[in-house]
Amino acid sequence: MHTGLDLLQGTLDLLILRTLLFGPSHGHAIAKHIQRTSEDKLQVETGSLYPALHRLEAKGWISARWEISDKGKRAKYYRLTPKGRKQLAAERSRWEQFSSAIERVLNPEEL
Amino acid sequence: MKFRRNRKEADLHAELQFHLDEEAAERAASGVPEAEARYAARRDLGNLALVMEDTRAAWGWTFWETLRQDVRFALRSLRHNSGFSLLVVLILGLGIGANTAVFSVVNSVVLQPLGYSDADRLVTLSSLWKSSGPGGNVSVPDFHDWHDQSSSFEAMASYSSGEIAVVTGPAAEFAREATVSQEFFKVFGVEPVLGRFFSGQELKPGSSGAAMVSYAFWQIHYNSDPAVLTKKIRMANHVLPIVGVLPPGFRFPGNIDIWVPANTIFPQPQNRSAHNLRVVAKLKPGATVEQAQAEMTAIGNRLEAEYPKSNRDKNVAVAALRDDMLKDARTMLYLLWGAVAMVLLVACGNVANLLLAKASTRGREIAVRAAIGASRMRIVRQLLTESLLVALLAGGVGVLIALAGSRDLVALAPGNIPRLADTHIDGWVLGFAFAASVLACLLFGLAPAFRAARVDVNEALKAGAARGVVGARSRLRSGLVVAEIALSVMLVAGAGLLLRSFAALHQVALGFHPENVLVMETSMTASLTPGEAIPLYKRLLGTLASVPGVTAVGATRVPPGEVLSDGAYFIDWAPTIEQITVSAPQAVYSVVSPGAFAALGIPLKRGRDFQPSDTPDAPFVAVINEKLAARAFAGRDPIGHTIVAGLDSLKPMTIVGVVGDIRQRGPVLDSDAEIYMPYEQHPIVSTQLRIVARTILAPEQLAKTVRHVAREIAPETPLKFTTMQARMSENLAAPRFRTLLLTIFGVLAVTLAMAGIYAVMSFLVNQRTGEIGLRMALGARSGDVLRMVLARGIWLAAAGLALGLIGSLAAARLLSTMLFGVTATDPTTYAAVIVLVGVIALAASYLPARRAAHIDPLAALRQE
Repeated sequence: MHTGLDLLQGTLDLLILRTLLFGPSHGHAIAKHIQRTSEDKLQVETGSLYPALHRLEAKGWISARWEISDKGKRAKYYRLTPKGRKQLAAERSRWEQFSSAIERVLNPEEL
Repeated sequence: MKFRRNRKEADLHAELQFHLDEEAAERAASGVPEAEARYAARRDLGNLALVMEDTRAAWGWTFWETLRQDVRFALRSLRHNSGFSLLVVLILGLGIGANTAVFSVVNSVVLQPLGYSDADRLVTLSSLWKSSGPGGNVSVPDFHDWHDQSSSFEAMASYSSGEIAVVTGPAAEFAREATVSQEFFKVFGVEPVLGRFFSGQELKPGSSGAAMVSYAFWQIHYNSDPAVLTKKIRMANHVLPIVGVLPPGFRFPGNIDIWVPANTIFPQPQNRSAHNLRVVAKLKPGATVEQAQAEMTAIGNRLEAEYPKSNRDKNVAVAALRDDMLKDARTMLYLLWGAVAMVLLVACGNVANLLLAKASTRGREIAVRAAIGASRMRIVRQLLTESLLVALLAGGVGVLIALAGSRDLVALAPGNIPRLADTHIDGWVLGFAFAASVLACLLFGLAPAFRAARVDVNEALKAGAARGVVGARSRLRSGLVVAEIALSVMLVAGAGLLLRSFAALHQVALGFHPENVLVMETSMTASLTPGEAIPLYKRLLGTLASVPGVTAVGATRVPPGEVLSDGAYFIDWAPTIEQITVSAPQAVYSVVSPGAFAALGIPLKRGRDFQPSDTPDAPFVAVINEKLAARAFAGRDPIGHTIVAGLDSLKPMTIVGVVGDIRQRGPVLDSDAEIYMPYEQHPIVSTQLRIVARTILAPEQLAKTVRHVAREIAPETPLKFTTMQARMSENLAAPRFRTLLLTIFGVLAVTLAMAGIYAVMSFLVNQRTGEIGLRMALGARSGDVLRMVLARGIWLAAAGLALGLIGSLAAARLLSTMLFGVTATDPTTYAAVIVLVGVIALAASYLPARRAAHIDPLAALRQE
């Protein structure tokens, strides 16, 4: 039902954490932000988004609070915890190592 | 928990709804019609239930939710096997109940703090004799020196107590009185709830005195009326004003009703050789018993050097009050506690065995759970939850049993155990029951749970339900049964030794005949001088002698079973008080009337009994027992020699008779040398005599008549009736108590262990049905099968017996202080235990063996 790239396992967590670095946000806005910044290349499925949010919350990387959205409705806002900030840095460096490794395998002649 | 989960669920709902609204609004904003935008948003979200399910999974099962699930499942499983569950709960409930009941007594007697402020600083001081150890009474001058020369104590007081007649209203009655020195109440830190302490004037030696009464005495005799402070009490021929009421519960040194200042109405002999006092003290904060002991030892040494005549070989012993109060009771209670804990262990072994048997039929269920993804720990946890539930239910049953049981225990227990009456089920006892349940759960539940969780899924699902579980389960089960037998052998052996001791105590030659003797306690002290009491006793004895059914009657200061005074004696020599040394030979002092020997059945061996002509004006006479005769005269005839005893005077008495030895200190202790003196010649000590009457019929039947006669002659005398046999029985209360309990525990343990043998043998026979069928098909006769199965049972019993006997021999040392007439390694007892346990074990294995012998080989093989 979506066109675009399937997210690699585990990368959704990274993207969510990165998105929340800009400030608190609710689920829908997080999905839209990922979609927009990836120029619609990445589609976040609702069926993956909410389990991921709740999992990150259970791990203590993000925290959630009901607040009034800019449109005046009650929405569940997630924000990064200090623990989550550390996690983001770790995941990020892991991802970078991972992608540069893939890059090397795909383009060995560039070495 | 449930509430929190529901809120989380609602939260999730709201969150997803917000997402849908947001999505729809966004689409609508881009020009899509409202209804279509909604629909698209909904479609985009996908399967809502699945999203929610996935999200919920991210929450994870918390500990409590898993527990709730486990408990619900366990309850269902217990209900499903209600018969089995009931059996297990009952077995364990009995074990936990017995433990809780015994603990309730241990708790109140041994563990609870004494009900005094700073009770851990309270100590007792006693005379420490080189010959007989600590615990000796203290003399007045010694006490004063201890008090004045020591510095470890905040307060130190002496006291003596007894039962006397008091008059508060129309008639005299018995009350317990304590004569206490100045700092007595300071030691315990009590304040009167009404009135005041004794004044300086009232405390002065030789003053007219005053009385303080217990709260209970105030309630009963004065109806809690504050006007009690205007009332007077009459006792010991004095009239005392009541000056204060002590707080509820304060009865030291033991059920005291009335306290009076020392050396006022009861003059105290100021003699270093007259040991009549007990001493309590409170340590200064920070001082230890050891420091106090060191200081007192130095003081004792000084006194010994200063007064060699009276203080040679005498020092001071300091002990914590709690230790002094408990003495033997603690050993006995700990023994019973240990024994009842063993019963619980046997019960746990039994239940573990039952669970193992159960697990073999549950193998398939567990295999299914494992197959659909339950981890091993998850299954162990589930099974342990089930065990815990059973244990807690059993704990509940146990508390109910303990409620009834602890009352019975208190009723059975010897009355001289301090604080026994305080026994009740409190938070500590409930906590103990809970802890025992949890511990029991771990004991009986762990092994079966791990065993069951180690199931091989493939094998279990392939095979039929009955043989679903693999593993050498029968070895574990046999081990459990062996342990059960061993424990019960230890209990039975202990019970056997105590039973033999108890029987031996009953066969002791007491030296007198306690059957058919009525005992009437009297006290003439309330309003008569000692001289006035004698004629009353004389008339009373004369009248009672002519009551039909009474064959002999007499009076004695102390009936057999206790000793009031003892001390030195001298043959054919009249020493002055200064010449009396502590190293002189000792004898029990008794005071009796003519006829007392006949009434008690003490045989006269030589000479004559006392007679009415042995008055204060006649020559002083005495009767001695055979032990004293043998010791002091060594074959010569004692009649006609003189003897001096320091009871109330140092006047020489002519020995006129010799009587047989009796166990004056109770059946447990050997006879002592004893001097009997006629009551008329010793009026000072003859005001509280016990009338003993030998009767033709049951002595209780005469009590009414005797009371009537006594009321007419001495209306102001309180009376108490008992029988000589009841008194002897009281003497044996402690051995009876421990013997009875250990026997009950032994029987319980043996019964459980035998049920264990039966269960494990039945299990084995079931498991080997096919093999047995095969053997029979190949020609084995049913006798062979019977022998084969029995041999297995005997092997289990023998292993258990061997281990149990080793354990008993190791533990018998603990019993040695409670044994009488048998040694801790008594071969008869152990032989009896072997025969008993062997026979019962054989009987328990016989039924399964017979079933095995009757297996139909065809049916058995077809089943396979």
